Amino acid sequence: MPVFKVPFNGYSVKFSPFYENQLAVATAQNFGILGNGRLHVLQLGPTITERAAFDTADGVYDLCWSESHDSLIVAAVADGSLKIYDLSLPPASNPIRSLHEHARECHGVDFNTVRKDSFLSASWDDTVKLWTVDRPASVRTFKEHAYCVYSAAWNPRHADVFASASGDCTTRIWDVREPGSTMILPAHEFEILSCDWNKYDDCIIATASVDKSIKVWDVRSYRVPVAVLNGHGYAVRKSCLASAALPLCFQHDTKVVLDVGKMV
Amino acid sequence: MAAQADAPASSADQNPQNPVVEQTTVDNRWGSKVEDVKESYPSSVFVNSQPIREEQVQNAVKFLSHPKVRGSPVIHRRSFLERKGLTKEEIDEAFQRVPDPTPSVQTTEPVVTNQADVQTQVPTQVVQSNPVLPAGSASKLVTDSRFHWSYAILAVGFLAVSGAGTLVLFKNAIIPRLKSWIRKVASEDEEEEGLLKKNNGKPNIAEEAAAAAKVAAAAAADVAEASRQMLTTKSEEKKCFEELMRLLNAQVHELKSMRTAIQMLEGGRSTNGKIVAEQQDDNRFLGTSSMQPYVNGKTVLGSHSVRSSSRPAPADPSVAPHPKSYMEIMAMIQRGERPSNIKEINDTPPNPNQPLSNPRLAPRPKPWEVSQPQTNSTNILQTQESSESSNYKFPSNPLSGGDAALWWQRKNVRITEFEAGNENKPGSSNVLGNEQPARRSWVPPQPPPVVMPEAAAAIRQPNKPSYQKEQTTDNQLLAPSPDVTDELQRITRIPEAGGTMEANGKTSVLSTSDEIQAEENSRY
Repeated sequence: MPVFKVPFNGYSVKFSPFYENQLAVATAQNFGILGNGRLHVLQLGPTITERAAFDTADGVYDLCWSESHDSLIVAAVADGSLKIYDLSLPPASNPIRSLHEHARECHGVDFNTVRKDSFLSASWDDTVKLWTVDRPASVRTFKEHAYCVYSAAWNPRHADVFASASGDCTTRIWDVREPGSTMILPAHEFEILSCDWNKYDDCIIATASVDKSIKVWDVRSYRVPVAVLNGHGYAVRKSCLASAALPLCFQHDTKVVLDVGKMV
Repeated sequence: MAAQADAPASSADQNPQNPVVEQTTVDNRWGSKVEDVKESYPSSVFVNSQPIREEQVQNAVKFLSHPKVRGSPVIHRRSFLERKGLTKEEIDEAFQRVPDPTPSVQTTEPVVTNQADVQTQVPTQVVQSNPVLPAGSASKLVTDSRFHWSYAILAVGFLAVSGAGTLVLFKNAIIPRLKSWIRKVASEDEEEEGLLKKNNGKPNIAEEAAAAAKVAAAAAADVAEASRQMLTTKSEEKKCFEELMRLLNAQVHELKSMRTAIQMLEGGRSTNGKIVAEQQDDNRFLGTSSMQPYVNGKTVLGSHSVRSSSRPAPADPSVAPHPKSYMEIMAMIQRGERPSNIKEINDTPPNPNQPLSNPRLAPRPKPWEVSQPQTNSTNILQTQESSESSNYKFPSNPLSGGDAALWWQRKNVRITEFEAGNENKPGSSNVLGNEQPARRSWVPPQPPPVVMPEAAAAIRQPNKPSYQKEQTTDNQLLAPSPDVTDELQRITRIPEAGGTMEANGKTSVLSTSDEIQAEENSRY
């Protein structure tokens, strides 16, 4: 299996929605505690080659590809800013935008796959902000969580609905047309690090927490989880419901574990 | 895209109802999308529709009425209730019911009449409590520490007083007892003597002396025992004192460490932003320990995102060991050192107004967004698509590795089938640009923000008055959300307006797609 070793510690990996063998990796120095960051763009092939790399002053915690532009990447940086990179421009012209509104680290970023023009940023300053690529300022700020928001995820079918996972042990579901959150899921007893929607059933959401478990919820009856997946040895840092409706989980020690849990 | 994904079931349901039904299923999807936009708002799945649970509200009211809870910031109270599973409505209802500083207003009074008062009071209370929050938390720390000290002093004083009191009591109790006992013994001896006298008739001095000596010895023994007891109690008291001092020292240590942490916080703000803030957070939470019992104010800087892995509850997930280099870096940072491998990097954009480049590809549908591919025009289009797939602008060498290229092209063929299936989707896109004008015959689903919707409408429906058309679609979509900001309205409305207008105006697939092509080219 081809291997590409990045010099820093990895934080996030995303494939490009336009090119199947192109992916981007967000990395941070010194385990992301304190140090620089780098965004790699890799090309898969018989070997993995690096197409581009962008250095940042602070660690890059998350990234997302634009759904409408094949060469745009949005990176969430630990100094609270969002950097937008354009791969079709030479590296000297990058980043093309730096959106700095968050007061604390920016931990998660997600692009809207339905509307394809807007993206969310989740930050440790307890807020989620909505942005579009063409504006220098955020469109909306969602401030309701009582602690850091670790990730935000758009609903794959409803263009206005998204979920946010926070360190105040709740997951909230929002509608951008509403001023506040529409649902509050007290999903875990400890901090929730990640949430993701089931792409094939827009009412199923999975949350991953510090308590090493992943819980799957149906928002229509959210008092009891649909499934509880234990078995990780560390806190579950990221989970995403893949196309086969099986959760793919990243453990905290950066191993990739395919956790085959039976889902209803 | 959302329409297509809104379940074929919904489109099937609305087929007979939709007055704009065309032969192709595509238009159904778009038409049903408009219906869904209207319908999904009032009956959205993502809204909690359960009624307010009175029991939960009453529990919340009891919680909020607790004096200790009253002193905590509102956001913590809300967070606690949310974690207990209350919905927003229940929490709001509880906040409304909880009386303000006047204790006379109880829940027994009719809630309706007082709700108006309480509602006005609650926002002011919230406003007042929020600015007090940082000061309150700081002062709480101080008051907590003061509490501890005063408690300690009180305890010491109490112990001292009790020790002295027991001493005095002992003395007062023992001495009279001793005396009475001596007297009793003496009197017994006297009685004995009397008996003896009666019996013997002659007081024996030696016997008297012996008896007196015995009594004295007994008294001395008693005194010795009493003093021994006093010594033991003293030693016990000493032990208690020492234990107390030990505990106090431990407290002092903790407070000292907190103080150093605060100093680090103020001193090392520039470099250790994250850790500092974390400590700040922990201190903030420590101040309101009534609701969230945290073991120690020391921040265990576990991993970054796992800030609270040291948070205590008894079911705390045990922290697994971390690699050695990670612990080294953590130790370095905690000592305040900056790791040596950090470079100064300027990552600001060289040109913040750099215009975005034109995208070279159109957005592709996601695997979960595909319903069924079209059968009529697929054959025609497939050939076009497959010839075009080799013309995809690909950044590096796609044909170098044989396997890789083949795999990629095979995948593209599969995807072009899907794309052909969606080629009926309306939508203009600036993605096309000038590079691939006529070869692409399918149009990506979601249009970008249309600059002049009236112009687009006018071009597409020359027969109907375009302004009227715009009005109706706008009214349809305007109904639900008056609260949303103007910008957001524009963003949400315009793509949908663009999409629906095209859906309604479309007659046949190929001709209109060509129209759109031409129109796009003319626009861009």
